[in-house]
Amino acid sequence: MTTRRRARIPFQKRATRMITAPTVDVTPTTEPSRPPAPSRSRPRARIRRGGGAALVFALPAIIVFAYFSWGPIIRGSVMAFQKTNFAVSEWVGWVNITYVLSDPLLPTAIGNTFLFVVLGMLIGFPVPLFLAVFMAELRRGRRWFNLLSYLPVVVPPVVAIMLWKTFYAPSAGGAFNTVLGWFGIPSIGWLDSTTWAMPAMVLEATWAGAGATVIIYIAAMTSVRVELYEAAELDGAGILRKICHVTLPQLRGLLLVMILLQLIGTIQVFAEPFLFTGGGPGNSTMTVLLMVYNYAFVSQDFGAAAALSVLLALFLGLLSAVYVWVTKKWSTD
Amino acid sequence: MTKQFRPVVGLAATAASIALLAGCSGGAAPASPASVDPDAPVTITVTGKPSDDQKDQLKVFNDRIVAFEKKHPNITVKGSDKNWDPQTFNAMLAGGTLPDLYAVYFTDSKAIAKNKQAADITDALKKSGVSETLNPSTLELAQDDAGRVYGIPFSAYGLGLVYNRALFTAAGLDPDKPPTTWEQVREDAKIITEKTGVPGFGTMTQTGTGGWMVTAATYSFGGQMEAADGKPVFADEGKTAEFLKLLHDMRFEDKSIGDNVLYDQAGIGQALASKQVGMFIGSPSSYQDAVVTNKMNKDDFGMGPMPQSGGNGTLTGGGVFMMSPKTTAAQQQAIITYVKEIYLSAKFDQAAAVDAAKSNAGQNLPVGLPELSVLTTDQSDKVHGWIKDYINVPEANFATYADSLKSLQLMIEPPQKAQDLYAMLSPVLQSVLTDPGTDIDGKLAEVSTTFTSKLNR
Repeated sequence: MTTRRRARIPFQKRATRMITAPTVDVTPTTEPSRPPAPSRSRPRARIRRGGGAALVFALPAIIVFAYFSWGPIIRGSVMAFQKTNFAVSEWVGWVNITYVLSDPLLPTAIGNTFLFVVLGMLIGFPVPLFLAVFMAELRRGRRWFNLLSYLPVVVPPVVAIMLWKTFYAPSAGGAFNTVLGWFGIPSIGWLDSTTWAMPAMVLEATWAGAGATVIIYIAAMTSVRVELYEAAELDGAGILRKICHVTLPQLRGLLLVMILLQLIGTIQVFAEPFLFTGGGPGNSTMTVLLMVYNYAFVSQDFGAAAALSVLLALFLGLLSAVYVWVTKKWSTD
Repeated sequence: MTKQFRPVVGLAATAASIALLAGCSGGAAPASPASVDPDAPVTITVTGKPSDDQKDQLKVFNDRIVAFEKKHPNITVKGSDKNWDPQTFNAMLAGGTLPDLYAVYFTDSKAIAKNKQAADITDALKKSGVSETLNPSTLELAQDDAGRVYGIPFSAYGLGLVYNRALFTAAGLDPDKPPTTWEQVREDAKIITEKTGVPGFGTMTQTGTGGWMVTAATYSFGGQMEAADGKPVFADEGKTAEFLKLLHDMRFEDKSIGDNVLYDQAGIGQALASKQVGMFIGSPSSYQDAVVTNKMNKDDFGMGPMPQSGGNGTLTGGGVFMMSPKTTAAQQQAIITYVKEIYLSAKFDQAAAVDAAKSNAGQNLPVGLPELSVLTTDQSDKVHGWIKDYINVPEANFATYADSLKSLQLMIEPPQKAQDLYAMLSPVLQSVLTDPGTDIDGKLAEVSTTFTSKLNR
């Protein structure tokens, strides 16, 4: 089960390995002279084997991470309990937290975010999977399909959104409404309609993001062992049954990771509502992250923004933990 | 974020273009505060520097600085393309990269003064003699509750009715007689829609712009948004609801407001230029959006008075220069000299005004747009005479608007957390235009409550 095992290597573990002992990766595994270090090696032994140099090499990365990544996380958590304008800060305890939790807009924002996540799951999750399966079955021109499906990822998000904004023009002359008109379907308000604004954004986000996911799926599929397909074929399985009984089960581990990544990504949706509608019409696309943005940059209320961010981060952490725990059974052998 | 973002860009651009234009004639150097040696070397960084891709404008800006430095050998001026921006302001201030001189909107200057994020320049301004030349009613926007001054207002606008004259003609209306009451706006919008198929009226709604429009309209209906202490009154007075009800009827009964209900300032300027909307409420800077950016025929651009319905007033906003709280007394004095000579002198000094108009016209930037005076004595008629050879906007198309600025009461934006209020009112306006069953009074009451809790933060 190469695929599954590969997919299950936690990213962080790999990264840590690379940071602390980069030499391990370049050492040919066949060479017996350097047995893998016992996990509880003494510091001195580690240094003698080149661990000290590794640390020195890793230092710049660690410093950069600490300053630009971990630092802001800590500072943000601290700010959640402060009233601050960056120059002068005062401790206010739980005030920020209770303030954002009592904001009447919060339930709306959570509801909208949830809607985006659900629609994203319904539309955004299967589409790349189907595309990947379809493309993997192609005998010819796969490279072109690869290119075509990946192209939207290359377009800068802001450009893509501005482009789609013109497609979504609510008048009968808008690009999408013109197409609908060909089939006798009346014009839709798209972004200017409280009902359609959110689905319209999911559609664009799927278009923009599918390519990257497709590539990952295709890469994973190529490592599914051919014998499994041959065995299935011998048993008389057609394309559909091969997909259902070989491909998908083989990709199970990867699918579970991708679902989690998509969950985390869609809950943090920001660029689409920010650029398409600014949260409108009538707050119908106001999301949690857009609220964070508005607290910080409309109200200049950094404490509230940090508080809501921390709550969101806690929620995502909790969600991930529960998810991993629940799906543990399915992802292991 | 149009009101928040784009105008900020616009503000920097305004600052930039004005800076380009102003003459170096200027007045005499201001009297120096006793404690500051007026000849000691001092370096200041100032906002308004055009970006590197705007080569011509950058050259003019740099030349201006060279001339200024020549006249004041002890002052070194460094241009900066950074400016106040709600996203970066606090970080720039904390990190020390904020220019010594930056420009903000009327809506933000009071909060900045209150947060002590700008230098108190009361004494320096008084000693320079500039404070006496500034109109007290606009200067008040740069003051804190104790009356200390933290900024210098340098430009001001009043809102009015922007319209496409070609559509008026096509609908059989007289483009020289724009509607002056909301009732007439409704009638004309209906006629335009019926005769041309183009939505007769539209409004900015996106992010903060919707609330900005609601506020302006409330004033024109005779209402207020906030009491002096910031307490919201719009939900109780009923004037805001009256306006929203009118828009509701125009949208769903007359159908003279179209399906596009998410315009921002750039978007509605483009819509006007491409004949997708007949009229909207805007400022003279809409001319820039429609004619300069979107190549609308300038003769089709018209601007009339803010329509009224018992209010006889229009919203006025503008830009204020403020100084970093880290500036020294010597720097503040140098900056005041800079602002006076580069920005203010074109408003009262003939040579400066002509120089400004000339170079503006050379850049194909609009010359002759009506604006409100930030000075005690409005010299705009005199200035108009000096620069009339360079005027490139169709002045007649602004005639009724310019007249209205003399008769309408100019009402400043809500004194407390205006941008917050705007951002909270925009969704209400959007709801009114998308949902025929919107409970207008209920929504306004909701905003009022939420806004009150924000005020207490």
